[in-house]
Amino acid sequence: MNALRGIIAVAGFQIRRLLAPQRIALALVGAAFPAAVILAVRRVADLNLDVLALLLYALVPEAVCMLGLLVTMCPVVADELERGTWQHVAVRPGGRRSLLLGTFLAAVAWSSLVALLALALALAAAGLPDSGPLAPMFAVLVLVSCVGRAALFSLPAVIVPKRALVASVAVAFVVEYLAGFLPAVINQLTVSLRLRSLLVRWMGWERKLPPELSLIIDTQPPWVQIVAVVALASVFLFAASIILAGRQFPPAEES
Amino acid sequence: MIEVDQLVKQFRAADGSLVEAVDGVSFSVAPSEIVGLLGANGAGKTTTMRLLATLLSPTSGTARIAGHDIVTDPLGVRRHLGYLSATTGVPDRLTPREVLEFAGRLHGLDRAAIADRTATLLHTLGLESCESRPCGRLSSGQRQRVSLGRALVHNPPALVLDEPTNALDVVGARDLLNLLDTLRDAGRTILVSTHRLHEIERRCDRFVVIHAGRVVAQGTQREMAAEPGSLERAFFAAVEGSGGA
Repeated sequence: MNALRGIIAVAGFQIRRLLAPQRIALALVGAAFPAAVILAVRRVADLNLDVLALLLYALVPEAVCMLGLLVTMCPVVADELERGTWQHVAVRPGGRRSLLLGTFLAAVAWSSLVALLALALALAAAGLPDSGPLAPMFAVLVLVSCVGRAALFSLPAVIVPKRALVASVAVAFVVEYLAGFLPAVINQLTVSLRLRSLLVRWMGWERKLPPELSLIIDTQPPWVQIVAVVALASVFLFAASIILAGRQFPPAEES
Repeated sequence: MIEVDQLVKQFRAADGSLVEAVDGVSFSVAPSEIVGLLGANGAGKTTTMRLLATLLSPTSGTARIAGHDIVTDPLGVRRHLGYLSATTGVPDRLTPREVLEFAGRLHGLDRAAIADRTATLLHTLGLESCESRPCGRLSSGQRQRVSLGRALVHNPPALVLDEPTNALDVVGARDLLNLLDTLRDAGRTILVSTHRLHEIERRCDRFVVIHAGRVVAQGTQREMAAEPGSLERAFFAAVEGSGGA
């Protein structure tokens, strides 16, 4: 109960930080981006449901979620060091854990909200009458993406706080987009495999895919994909929590 | 009670060499006592205090805060220690009341305890008139008092205060030091670091002089600063006697 109180307090505090006018403006620009792309595509080509789903997938659970999490989750420790508040958090009995998990909750909530707004705007911009079923499907993909990637980014954020943004971009490319597309055991440990597999399953594309592409899809049921992401996120957060508990910042390294 | 026993902290420098920021420091602070940890910039005061606050772990040696060992029981230490860092680190957008409530929640206090402690601290620290103003619009003295309140929110028996009068004007520093007198009279164990000797000359019961990571002198207020201005002479004598400054 005590631990939960600290986590919720940090989450509320981080949300409040995110409600600054500049952050809101940045979020609105990010949310409008997929709609702008879809409008641009509509000018040169006819959209059908399959093309729209592919565009939405690349733009919302991948691009918007990823960018949202890069600006909210990556600075979890760096921000506190820069503002001189790290010591005041770390000196509390559960302060480090509360900081990590509270920021995780805030990052997931904020990035999901922005991505859901982006989804709504993009669907409106597409103007396809039969695109209704895409909304709940992509809402789930957004949540799965945010939970998995926020936990993934927590690792570089605590290992290399001052270079967390660069390290997270590198992790995103190497782990999510390189390892994630390898038809080997390692891609089972990526969020991108689970998201792709959910998309293919829900869009009914299994039979349409050429055999070589089916190698980069997991055919297990959707609930397995979602449980796998939750399990991965738990492992990432647990590891980040252990690393953060042991982090020391000599006075000269702060700020 | 704060007991520091042969505390050593080494850091690895950029060139790979080991630097001993704290080198076998030992001293103690009793309840109802204010001890001044004196030293020039880079002497090892802040590192010593961060070791006591469990923000850093020692290379060797140990310390106990209210009976809790910083190496084997850091959580026990954190429950019984109030720590004020040299940087105020108060969020600009929060009000003093919100800062104290946030610190209380982070410490795991229940709602009633937070309300009680917040009201008490806002009154004690003279922050009632600005309790609803964002900290970004407070004076540096008020911000430092908010920071001190954050260190006191869980009513700890021991306090470690790193340069508490930093960035304060004469009046702000005097008010804060008066507050430390009150806290000492209430039975708290207080370790306070500073390089502004004149401010604490008459406030501390004992002094520990640290130079290049080592304790070079320690003694009671009477032994080291019997007359006004003599603390500064005693400090320089100790530092120069150790081969520094």
